[in-house]
Formats: sequence, structure tokens, C-alpha cells
Amino acid sequence: MFNTARSKIQTWITAGAGTIAALFVAGVMGAFGALPAHAPPQLPPGAAIDAGRWRVQPVRAYVSHAKVYGVLLKPGQKALVLEADMTNRTAQSDKAYFDVFEPEGLTLADRQPMIALTRDSTLTPELHPGMTERMAYVWALAGDAAVPSSLGFGVTSEIFKPRDNLYGMPGWFNPYRLGTVTLPVADMPATDTEGGS
Amino acid sequence: MKIRVLGNLAILAATVALSYGMQVTKPHYADLTAPLPVDGAMGKRVHARSFDVRLEKVVFARQLKTNQFGQEKLLTTSGLWAVATTSLTATDASTTVADGTWQGPTDLRYNQTERLGYRQDMPPHGVDPGLGKLGLFVFEVPPDQIRGAKLLIAARRFGPLDAQARISLDGVRTGPDGQPADILPQYDLDAPPRDQGPQDQGPQGPAQETRP
Repeated sequence: MFNTARSKIQTWITAGAGTIAALFVAGVMGAFGALPAHAPPQLPPGAAIDAGRWRVQPVRAYVSHAKVYGVLLKPGQKALVLEADMTNRTAQSDKAYFDVFEPEGLTLADRQPMIALTRDSTLTPELHPGMTERMAYVWALAGDAAVPSSLGFGVTSEIFKPRDNLYGMPGWFNPYRLGTVTLPVADMPATDTEGGS
Repeated sequence: MKIRVLGNLAILAATVALSYGMQVTKPHYADLTAPLPVDGAMGKRVHARSFDVRLEKVVFARQLKTNQFGQEKLLTTSGLWAVATTSLTATDASTTVADGTWQGPTDLRYNQTERLGYRQDMPPHGVDPGLGKLGLFVFEVPPDQIRGAKLLIAARRFGPLDAQARISLDGVRTGPDGQPADILPQYDLDAPPRDQGPQDQGPQGPAQETRP
């Protein structure tokens, strides 16, 4: 009886090792690259999103043809504006919110947005822990660029590491695409004077 | 022979346990190179390495009025404005004092505001030995981060192993709900309220001007 059990185990181990080796070789040769990639999920537009060090709640998106929140546009440009309520979830003041939102499927004049506090058009101020502020992301677009009436904004999050691998310092690393939030994009005519002091 | 093996095993186990203990209690690099705090209280002179600082008063306001490039601006906030007035002087050489941080009771850190732009009485404060100077540090803080807070003042933001004055805000009068007792509806930085005694000469007083 003992003998049969031992041979059984040996059989299992041999067969298992063969399978694992086959899967490993297939993985190394890239056989799994053909699997459909995991698309980032759609995020609900009306809810707050925890994106790493920021809690964000998109409010509205629109296209502006004039100066908006103190952000000057070059002649012939228009601006895609996304307003969002942002809360710093960390324990200290921070301004690393430049890559949180990214419009999808548009050719931007400049990938980096200008970001202004809607309160008084201060450009890229630090946001303080637990204090929610409405921020406006302003991307410059060519004047003839077509903007769909409903646009997806990719939301990027980061991972907190209590000790990084170089200095053992706490920090936020490894940005990844958390998902996409889709908002209707209104078109504001050039006479819009809101916030543009 | 057997005892010797057991003894060796015991020593090995003890070494492993000791090494593991040392590994898990190893201090953070950030803690090893952190600024060295110098504790103090409101109204008392705190001696940091390169400067002396005394926190004169802290005023809370809902709005802040300032003059920017000849334009009057009224700054609002989702919390409260805290304007800390300090008198600064250098220890033995002219230097600058640039960093102020509001540390809440739960160690949340609020850096000084960046919404004011450049002003003469805002950091960085140029200080000289033997000459007093009033310097302001302005913060945006939520009302629940005021009781038990501390004001951290250092020569610069990232100053490893440099002194950092850590002044506890015990002189701030707060109500039973933790909110400060006096909140001004508006604080004009160019005409500060003069209700706190003779030492408040305003930031533009000629006595503290230190021109190169």
C-alpha cells in the first residue's frame, strides 16, 4: 500500500513538473501576449474616485475659446477644460496632480495641462491634506481640432510604498491607469467671462 | 558532542533572532537625516542653529486681503487662514528663513500657502544678527487641525540634520468645539489689525527693514 502511494505521488510530481515547465516555456516565448488585454474599467462619473494620493470627483468638462482661469491661449487655439474637486489624501501638502487626468483620443498641442485653482486662478498651488478644492485642468488644442460631445478622461493612480528600494523612504510610485471616466463636453462660446480674471 | 551541537544551534537561533530584530527596528533613512527639532512655546525665544525665532501671535481669518501688482485680491479658502507673526533674527551670520509648516494634532503637515505670490514680509525672510525682523507665515488649515497644532520653522524646506524650531501653539484660544475663539472675517495683510500690544508694528515698519 505504501509502495503504491509513493509511486502515485511520483507520477503526480512528474506530470505536474512537465505541465509547469510547458507553461513556463510558453510564457517565456510570449504565448500569453495574445490574450485580450485587460481594459481599464469605466469609472462612474458622479462619484468620488480614490486615485492614489488624490480623491477626485470630476464636475464638468467643456471647450473654451477664450482665456479661462487666467490661462492664456495662443491665437487660434482653444482649450479643453476639466473641472474636478480634488482632495489630498496624504499627510502633507502636495502638488503631484499633473498626471491624474488625461483626455483620451485627442491630439493635444501640449500633453501637460495648465492647472488652476478655480477659487482665484492660482496656477498649480499645493493642495493641503483633507482640504477639498476645485481645480481646472486646461489643455490647449488646435483651433480646428474636433472634440467629441462625450469624452473619456483616463485617471492615473499610484501605489504607496512605506519604504522605497533606494532610501527606504515612504512615497508614491508605479503609476497605473485606474480607469476611464466619461463626461459630456459642452462648448462655451468666446463671450464666456467666467473665472477669467 | 550532543551538547555542543545543541549549543551551536542555540547560538544560531539567537543570532537569527537578533538580526531580525535589528532589521525590523532599523530606523528610516528619513528619520536618520530628519531635521533636529528645537521645542518651544508661543512668545518664547527659540534658538535654532542659524536663527532665533519667537512666535508673537497667530490670527485666524476667513478671508485674506492682499495687494498683488497693484491689484487688490481677496483670497478665500475652504478652511481658515492662519497668519503667524514671528520675530526673527540671525544667530551669527546673515541668512534666510524660508520654511514654515503647520503640523496638526495628528501630524498632518500643512505647508505655507503658495497663493500669495511674492511679498516683502513673506518667506524667505532675510535675517541678520542683532537686527530683529517681523516675518509672516501664512497657512490654510482646516478648523479641526488647530487645537494641539505646532508651528515648524526651518531655514529651508529640506534641511537634513539642520535645526527646526517646533513651537507649540498653546497660546491659541480655542472654543469647546476646537475652533479658535476669534476668527476675523477678513485679514488685510497690508493693514494688519493692531490690537495685540505695542510690539506689533506691522511688517512694513522701518525698524525691522533689512535692506542690503
